[in-house]
Amino acid sequence: MASNQNPISAIDMLTSALRSNIIPNQEYLLQGSVIDSSAEVLHNRLRGLCDAAETGPETFHDHEMCFSLKASSPGGTPQQQQSFLLRVRRALDHPEYPWQLRYLGQPELGEKNQPTVLRSCIDIACTPNVVEFLSELGCRIEFEYVLKGYLFRKGRMKVTMSKIFRMGQAKSPDSLEAMTGSYLVELSLLAPSGQDAVADEIKVFAEQLRPLVHLEKIDYRRLQSYS
Amino acid sequence: MQREEKQLDAALEALLQRINDLKTSIRTLLFRLENEYASLSWPSFLDSYAVISGQMNTLLKVMKNDKTPLLRNLIVLPLVLSPDPDEELKQATEGRVVAFSHDITPDMLRTKPDPDVEQRQNQFEQRASQVPPETAQKQINALNKVVNHVLEQITHSREDWENEATVRAAAAQTCVTADTHTLIAAVGLGKNLKTLPIAAPAQPGPGRAQAGPAPGKTTSTIKTTIKAASQVHPYNR
Repeated sequence: MASNQNPISAIDMLTSALRSNIIPNQEYLLQGSVIDSSAEVLHNRLRGLCDAAETGPETFHDHEMCFSLKASSPGGTPQQQQSFLLRVRRALDHPEYPWQLRYLGQPELGEKNQPTVLRSCIDIACTPNVVEFLSELGCRIEFEYVLKGYLFRKGRMKVTMSKIFRMGQAKSPDSLEAMTGSYLVELSLLAPSGQDAVADEIKVFAEQLRPLVHLEKIDYRRLQSYS
Repeated sequence: MQREEKQLDAALEALLQRINDLKTSIRTLLFRLENEYASLSWPSFLDSYAVISGQMNTLLKVMKNDKTPLLRNLIVLPLVLSPDPDEELKQATEGRVVAFSHDITPDMLRTKPDPDVEQRQNQFEQRASQVPPETAQKQINALNKVVNHVLEQITHSREDWENEATVRAAAAQTCVTADTHTLIAAVGLGKNLKTLPIAAPAQPGPGRAQAGPAPGKTTSTIKTTIKAASQVHPYNR
């Protein structure tokens, strides 16, 4: 899934875009999951609710790798190094598509009345040698997984139902094992910062998917501390 | 003597209050019946009845209360009867009783039920006394059996309905929270996802390996770093 940024007219357009705050660099997100047996029902419901019902939803089969880059502060001890994650995603079913490099910031859950998780997100289309490039930069691969699922769109919102697979021992795309018996459902919207009204759009849509799937704000940093 | 008087006063106050409440609810029911009979539904009618029944209950409770003196032992005796209108009486009864005269006193102070009610009650008592005791006992037993049977039926149906509701709720569970957390932790933090051996062997091993997202993976990374040193870049591109 690649974003359509024209890389040619870079500097001038970028500068003007940055100044006028039109770059969609915030992601409004809600996550949930649905078990496999009810996935069909959710699929049908999403088909009904979302755009392009006749052509059917897009399927995707992607391989995502997460690299971490340690930014060492000068004069600081090794413990003070901050790392951030860069994600590289490629479409396994369409090898000719560009690869996607994505930066996701820390998720902010905000208060109770903030309906969605907010995190900064920058998407860049790139060529397949991005992995080599990142390794040369000093990035280290942290983890990787394969996603297989369906993509639905409604207006500016994007809903994905994906099954996450662990890469098998043999490192070939065939030896995959599913992580859980559920599909991960994510409802997201990319918008420039400051447009909080879209969060309500997302919330309204999420309500329509209940009780099949409960999309909510989940803080995955807190999940790290459990076991 | 004084204490009893005080108790009596308090009891009468309480009784009066309860009776007033009862009167208000009967009045609202009658009003509703007269004016809203087209839009009245049986359940809401039953609700009004429930209110009245509740109030009668509280009234009886007040009468049975220990603090109430035995009302049975007291009598109300009219001291003066006069056909002249009495202003205080009028105000106290909201205009219903104008004068404490000879004709309304028998109605107001009566203790026996209405004549036709009394007659029907006498009839029933006669019929009841004519039945010999054995048949009476048999009839009582039969009635008890029937009522118990009906009660059993109702409790069984109620249990079935409740079970059905819970089964339906359980079967309708379409998401597992544990799975949600697993998936999100995997996608966000790489929890439980095996890390591949490090590509560049020049990087210091153990120090970097500590920074792995999940503590469970650090041991495997340390082991595999040694193997990785001799490996080519894992992606053959």
